[in-house]
Amino acid sequence: MSVPSAGPSRKAVRWIPAVAVPIAIAVGVVVVPMQANAAVDLPDLTPKQLLEFAAASDVTTLSGTIEQTSELGLPDLSALKGDLAAPSTGGAGSAGAGLDDLLSLITTDHTAKVYVDGSNARLQVLDRLAERDVYASASGAWIYDSSAQAATHVVLPPDADLDALATAMQGEADAAKARLEAELGAALPTPEAMLDQALARLGDSTDVSVGTDSRVAGRDAYELVLEPGDPDTLVGEVSIAIDGENGVPLAASVTARGASEPAFSVAFTDIGYTAPDASVFAFTPPEGTDVTEQVIPVPTVAELEQWQAEGATGAATDHPAPPVTVHGEGWSAVVELEPAAAQGAPTGGAGAEASAMLDAITQPVAGGRLLSTSLVNVLFTDDGRVFAGAVSADRLAAAASER
Amino acid sequence: MSSSEGERGPEGLETSSSATRPAVSSATRSADGPGPQAARPSKLGGILSLLASELRTLFRRRRTWAMLGALALIPILIAVAIRIAGDSPSGRGPAFLDRITQNGLFVGVTAIIVAIPLFLPLTIGVVAGDSIAGEASHGTLRYLLIAPAGRIRLLVVKYLAAAAFCAAATLTVVVVGTLIGWALFPIGPVTLLSGTEVSVGEGLLRFLMIAAYVTVSLLGLSAIGLFLSTLTTVPVGSMAATAIVAVVAQILGALPQLEWLHPWLFTRYWLDFADLLREPPVWDSFADNAVLQAGYIVVFGLLAAARFVTKDVLS
Repeated sequence: MSVPSAGPSRKAVRWIPAVAVPIAIAVGVVVVPMQANAAVDLPDLTPKQLLEFAAASDVTTLSGTIEQTSELGLPDLSALKGDLAAPSTGGAGSAGAGLDDLLSLITTDHTAKVYVDGSNARLQVLDRLAERDVYASASGAWIYDSSAQAATHVVLPPDADLDALATAMQGEADAAKARLEAELGAALPTPEAMLDQALARLGDSTDVSVGTDSRVAGRDAYELVLEPGDPDTLVGEVSIAIDGENGVPLAASVTARGASEPAFSVAFTDIGYTAPDASVFAFTPPEGTDVTEQVIPVPTVAELEQWQAEGATGAATDHPAPPVTVHGEGWSAVVELEPAAAQGAPTGGAGAEASAMLDAITQPVAGGRLLSTSLVNVLFTDDGRVFAGAVSADRLAAAASER
Repeated sequence: MSSSEGERGPEGLETSSSATRPAVSSATRSADGPGPQAARPSKLGGILSLLASELRTLFRRRRTWAMLGALALIPILIAVAIRIAGDSPSGRGPAFLDRITQNGLFVGVTAIIVAIPLFLPLTIGVVAGDSIAGEASHGTLRYLLIAPAGRIRLLVVKYLAAAAFCAAATLTVVVVGTLIGWALFPIGPVTLLSGTEVSVGEGLLRFLMIAAYVTVSLLGLSAIGLFLSTLTTVPVGSMAATAIVAVVAQILGALPQLEWLHPWLFTRYWLDFADLLREPPVWDSFADNAVLQAGYIVVFGLLAAARFVTKDVLS
């Protein structure tokens, strides 16, 4: 613009905006959110009042954006996923694809939109260059995957009479309540009393407190903090943010013991409580989509009564015992899967790839292989059992050697 | 640079002073208000006429048309290959590739996905990296500055021309892709990512919005190219550097270890244009992308301006 041959100091002056503006941007990005957070101050509540407040929430319509992040300390599985996805697209093994989906759900970050009105709901997972959708309404649910161009229609059987079923169940519940009250000789506790009891029971193993108020998704929010007192668990803290105005949970995060950042968190980044447009919930599978129909079996009232009769006489004991055993309780519980259940998922051609992937993400330990994350450990024993829990590997090994 | 004036010999010294003096006077005049010349009634008019001549120069160059032609080849190759070889299995290759045989309109979007990582940045690098350095290497920069146009104004015009090329390049890919898809495949209602169908008209509108999104995505890179171009008089150097910056940014964006850096990379939202293909369209990434690119334009624009006004123009 003007004298380029000016002295060095004039030249330096001309660089000032070029240096100052990036600094201003950086400061703005860092400082502004901090100030926004500092300003929040909601009326103080005890943990019990906060839980009641959340339970009394009557919000039925909302739309918002959810972000899920996880820092579980797992290796990056994108390369493995590629290997897995390739054969499964040939139509050979859907198990590989399922495992692949599951892994991507746990290990990668997601953004999703949520729409809810009184009777419809939609979850829209925004993948890069793809999308997965769940459209749920009274008449059933559609699950759509854009990259696979596949849709699954989940419906109730046409002859299902939900109203009659609900009435029957309600009648059953009332009768059971009357029986219980007769036995106890007193009225059953109110929901408030039950909350007290639950908090008291929780208090033995968990320290429940109200944390600092903050801003979540542009709303002033309470923070409910659960800290396990159990020294065996890997979970350090569970934190839930609750909208200070209407009690809607806005965010939840789990932090591993000793970690400063959450290992797993789900949070609204923006939310509104007006009813979304009805067109948001409309879905008909487009042309060229693989449509799978799935009917969920619903018992009729007669069947329900028959089951109850069987249950009363003890005739229904020939059901196979669930192949799941739980060792311990509370935060340090360990879940054991029997070989049959554990091997149920990967079948056929995808089995070899799945086990190859297991080898890649697990490390050998005495008596099996261990999948270790900051929050959860999973032990695959050599005899095919699987032990999982939010506990250290040693505790898993101890549970495995109990038998 | 100023200390090197003495070492440049008599010729360099002479050209330097003769090139800079008119620039000084023009800046003084424009600061005082409209100059005495009737041909330059206002600052804005000056910029517009300079921009018009710059655009004429840019779009008359054979190189510009060669690059646009190469970009147009991408959708043509994709469409012809699929026409000859048949449908690709679902899930292989770039996104939307498996939809082309159902609906030819997807050729443009598929071509954009193929072009974004390398081909588009490469052509932007050539235009933006050449903007100042090219004039300097041709020895025409000082004549541009002799003409009554301030250095900042020249920089703005050069940048706007590069931005116009971004739009032209993106539109070339989308429009040629749509046309070749229309010619070779059946077309029909466009299936969005959410599984809803919209009419051909709205589908085309959405593809145009994608072109706008991608154009905005490339503006930050253009600013970087402009800055790099003021650093050197060797245009090939700044062109290559710009293209390399784009590739390096994408590599950094793929490394999970550098997650803290990712929100600051100008390539961060490059592939998020598919948000416009959702129902309802998600505008978050469009807005975030625009803010990010504006930040790059401000920072690198100021760097380029600081560099260019303090630079000794020797050629």
